[in-house]
Amino acid sequence: MKALAVTGLGVVSPIGIGHAAFAEALRDAETARDRAFAGQPTVLDAEKVPGARAAEVRDFEPADYLGSKGLRNFDRLTKMMIVAAKLALEDAGIKKDGQFVGSAAPKVGICSSTAYGSLDAITELNLVAELEDPRYINPARFPNTVINAAAGYVSIWEDLRAPNVTVVDGNCGALDAVLACDTHLLHRRGDVFLVGGGEALSEPLYLAFRKLGIVAEGDDTLGSHLGEGAAYLVVERREEAEARGVPVRALLAGYGTAFEPPLSPAVLVHASADSVRRAVRAALDDAGISPGDVDAVCCAAGGIDLIDREESAGLAAVLGTDVAVAAPKLVYGESFGASGALGMATALAWIDGAPVAPLVSGSAPGQVRTVVVTAVGFYGNVSAVVLRAV
Amino acid sequence: MARVYVTGMGVVSPVGIGRAAFWEALTQGTSGVAEVTLFDTKGMDRNLACEVKGFRPRDFLTAAEARHVGRCSAMSLAAAREAVSHAGLRPEQLAGERTAVILGTTMGEANILGELESAWIHAGTDAVPTAKITRYGTTLLPIHVARAFGTRGMVQTLPAACAAGNYAIGFAADQIRAGRADVAITGASEIIEKLEFAGFLRLGAMTPDVVRPFDRDRRGLLLGEGSGILILESEEHVVRRGATPLCEVGGYGLACDAHHITRPHPEGEGSAHAMRQAIESSRITADQVDFINAHGTGTQANDPIEARVIKDIFGGRRVPVSSNKSVLGHCMGAASAIEAVACVETILSGIYPPTMNLEQQDPECDVEVVANEARRGDARVVLNNALAFGGYDAVLALAKLGVLPADTGAA
Repeated sequence: MKALAVTGLGVVSPIGIGHAAFAEALRDAETARDRAFAGQPTVLDAEKVPGARAAEVRDFEPADYLGSKGLRNFDRLTKMMIVAAKLALEDAGIKKDGQFVGSAAPKVGICSSTAYGSLDAITELNLVAELEDPRYINPARFPNTVINAAAGYVSIWEDLRAPNVTVVDGNCGALDAVLACDTHLLHRRGDVFLVGGGEALSEPLYLAFRKLGIVAEGDDTLGSHLGEGAAYLVVERREEAEARGVPVRALLAGYGTAFEPPLSPAVLVHASADSVRRAVRAALDDAGISPGDVDAVCCAAGGIDLIDREESAGLAAVLGTDVAVAAPKLVYGESFGASGALGMATALAWIDGAPVAPLVSGSAPGQVRTVVVTAVGFYGNVSAVVLRAV
Repeated sequence: MARVYVTGMGVVSPVGIGRAAFWEALTQGTSGVAEVTLFDTKGMDRNLACEVKGFRPRDFLTAAEARHVGRCSAMSLAAAREAVSHAGLRPEQLAGERTAVILGTTMGEANILGELESAWIHAGTDAVPTAKITRYGTTLLPIHVARAFGTRGMVQTLPAACAAGNYAIGFAADQIRAGRADVAITGASEIIEKLEFAGFLRLGAMTPDVVRPFDRDRRGLLLGEGSGILILESEEHVVRRGATPLCEVGGYGLACDAHHITRPHPEGEGSAHAMRQAIESSRITADQVDFINAHGTGTQANDPIEARVIKDIFGGRRVPVSSNKSVLGHCMGAASAIEAVACVETILSGIYPPTMNLEQQDPECDVEVVANEARRGDARVVLNNALAFGGYDAVLALAKLGVLPADTGAA
């Protein structure tokens, strides 16, 4: 792809709301992690899910950002996504005080990922339908059950009329949103895109992963550390960003993806080093760079050994074993459809000087100019993105 | 920029499984409406839908596949197998890194989620079957298809609600044009699920009897389900393997109303923009469009706005318009994919399928509807129109071979 300009960033995360707070927290990863995972998450009922350990976006008051009107029928995912989108648009100087800046507003769209959508909205309606009567479900909440509803609400709230695209590729979705953005910018279906995604922690999601036996609880270090959040990069064609006179924070330079089926048709959940290798290789080729150009990898490791070891092997196959590979999900949790978005936000923080941590291999680089962000799905798909300093 | 062709199609629909049965029923106007059998509708005061009847996954899937998939993926696989066979692609021409699988849906494997939630709500976590948890995931639709054909390229799911088919097909064509794939298995799938049924009922959008697109007495939609899959190939790939394409994929248009989560924009602003983009990016003019396969849900809100947009764009020329939803119901995410299959059949046969149940056309829907009987006509360029929850608008252009100028869809 032709390198695209990243001109803004909005983050709602368990370690901070706003890109500055997020980057600041990454400066001390250990403290950030301890805070993010401390105590019982409020979205998980302590009686039903005692001892739950997850990284929640705490003290999240959407009204502080959006005002109190019109939020009633939004679920948690929608509210996190709208706040992240709003922060991103303001950061990029596209909007100020809720209004587009300048007379010729750019055509803004959104390419947004989520893996499980508004699971809590679906559950809320199912509870009524199953325990009371399907006729009593709240029609104002019904649209939330549709996976793309949250992104639809972002466009309505922010008045974004260029294409609105939701991508659901499990953990890879937010990186695949980069492909959607690149495609639609290339065809001039919009001038600016919000690129990223969101995922909300909810009781059914937590219970499902716990039932699978892959959630780290108590003092376990092994297992998935569930999290949540939303993040959007503001992405536009470089020449137009420069013409607009806004600072270009970094370049989105390459994208790659690959799928590998399992060796046995009886297997469903799996990962393969080969798909990691191919996806990363393709992203480097797409960016026109070689493995030696990569300063750091923001990897997808989240505590599930079956997945993480394949990723390590695949990364080593392309990049060798000296490059700094860090696993920030150990700090802010596994947020599935949002994870690639938080990964890209992390890469931007590294380019701006935050330490590459927590390292899983290699040694900390001096200056970070080129970062590979990876995402590994549960079913054999892998995506990778290259972010570079300007 | 290289041309992209449709070389194969497969369909699982409420009026027939397989292309031949589907097209026969659609052109005859044979209704797919019947009483709901998938779940109990007791007390819901509606009991009609357009279910896919007699679909037995094991007729199309291996035993291992059947164990892993929900109904939505099962239909996707069945339609994909028909499409691949129709395209005459040999396994080695399809397997590998140069084939993409890009599918749309609204809710994907919704029945698996429904079963998981029902077990949990009534009997607690202990009652939830662990193996079933990993079988829920909207991302699984293209994964199951990729596994079946040994493809190793991109797998993408675009949940664009009722515009998902056009989203997926258009995006797949983009990827081939960009050189990221030679072949794409694309389209969309959807199943009818109890919560969706109850939801549309509560929105007051469901008719008690039949779907009457563009009629003065239209009373709403009926839910449908199924899968429509197209095989798209680059010109180079088609030439290399000596295949004969069915038609060419033109441009497409996308827009967002940013107006209301379920209702279309009152002036159809986004929809008109998307339709103009589809025409312009095909490098044609509006007067080259011969037929429009309408969204035509039969709801109060949709039909007049759609008619208004068509009138705005085509001016005094009364381009023939028809809605398949009077026959198929609203197959939601799958709708525009199944309707894309119908568009290709129209291009191949020169037959416009009828809009059934039209007795008194609403003056607010003043377009040239192909009413109650199929009609023959030119079909050089056909538009497939879709609107969706989220304020989504998506229009896809499909064209007879040799009609579009060479740089169709170019950036």
